[in-house]
Amino acid sequence: MRRNKWFYISALLLSLTFVMGLAALCMASGGELAPPVGQPAGKTPAFGNYFVIGWTAVNFFVLLALMYKFAYGPINNMLEQRTNTIESSLKHAEEVKVEVEQMRKETQANLAESRKEAQEIVGRATKAADDAKNEILARAKEDAANMKSKAEAEIKSATDAAKAELKDTAAALALMAAEKVLGRTITDADHQAMAKQFVNEAGDLLC
Amino acid sequence: MTFGMWDGVFFNLGPIPVDHLIFTEWVLIALIGIIAISATRNMQMVPRGLQNAFEAIIIFTYDFFTQLMDEEHVAKKWAPLLTSFFLFILCSNYSGLIPGAAHIEGFQPPTSNWNVTMTLAIITFFSIHIAGFSEHGAHYLSHFVSPSWAMLPLNLVEEVAHPLSLTVRLFGNIFGEEMVIAFLMFMAPFLVPSAIMGLSLLLGAIQAIVFTILSSSYIAAAAGAGH
Repeated sequence: MRRNKWFYISALLLSLTFVMGLAALCMASGGELAPPVGQPAGKTPAFGNYFVIGWTAVNFFVLLALMYKFAYGPINNMLEQRTNTIESSLKHAEEVKVEVEQMRKETQANLAESRKEAQEIVGRATKAADDAKNEILARAKEDAANMKSKAEAEIKSATDAAKAELKDTAAALALMAAEKVLGRTITDADHQAMAKQFVNEAGDLLC
Repeated sequence: MTFGMWDGVFFNLGPIPVDHLIFTEWVLIALIGIIAISATRNMQMVPRGLQNAFEAIIIFTYDFFTQLMDEEHVAKKWAPLLTSFFLFILCSNYSGLIPGAAHIEGFQPPTSNWNVTMTLAIITFFSIHIAGFSEHGAHYLSHFVSPSWAMLPLNLVEEVAHPLSLTVRLFGNIFGEEMVIAFLMFMAPFLVPSAIMGLSLLLGAIQAIVFTILSSSYIAAAAGAGH
């Protein structure tokens, strides 16, 4: 028990009151002890005072009845009630513990499942990304190939056009040269025949 | 020389005289009753204050008597009586320390009169034999001739000696203590008696405990397996 200063002050005051009270009584009696109340002078108390014995017995049994009624009964009931409450609380706590343990297990299972699902999702996403990458690469390659073939075709047609133009120019030059050598105008029929011959001969050399 | 406090009549209740110390007993019982009622009037599951203190006393006495008597059912049965003995004797003893005790009309410490201590001892005497008979039935009588018939007179003397010793011990101690304080007050009214009063606080508690423990050990012996 924690005792503060008021406890000590009360104890001191109570002790002082008792001592001063006794002293006051003693002083009031003129320094002599007053005889106990009810004591006739020169007589000693009787032994076996049946009234005192009877009254004391009655009083004690009244006290016992009071104690049974107001102390033991209520306190025993309260103790029993408290025991029941504690027992039920402990039982409830045990149940809650089991429940919490079960919930913990369920949560762990859910967590494991969620992790698995998350891994699956990540796997699926990775796979989809790989697929998309491959598809884009394939398309890019295809496009590149298309562009290349198109460019090659264009180059080929340009080359052909250039060759044809070169042939025409060479034919015209040949005609001019032939006219100069022959000294006359070449007819269309000559022209045609010569040009063709020349071109065919020179073309094989040029290309 | 006065042997014991005078048991003078305070007033008459019809034909029955009521002594000063009987009136004091009423006041003490009323005081204990009021404390008990106020402590248990509004019982709480979590005890506080007076309820806590009173419960602690009751539980302590239950545990104490259970340890002392070995058998729990006997202790449970007799603990209320023994605790009532303790509280009654303790309050009676301490009432002698209040200024004016035995000098004010209607205020005389009960345990300083041997009629009162004898009554308590007689109650103990009957309790011992009730406990013996209730635990062992008629077989209880055999302990009077134990270990042989030759021991019967000694056993009977022992049975009478129990209440006698309880009576004289309690009465003698409390009366003696009061006499010592009274003489010291006569010789040196200031401060000197306070030391004896401090001792009286201890003595009052010890005598209440001794009476209760002896009563419980007698009851335990009668109700125990020895008989």
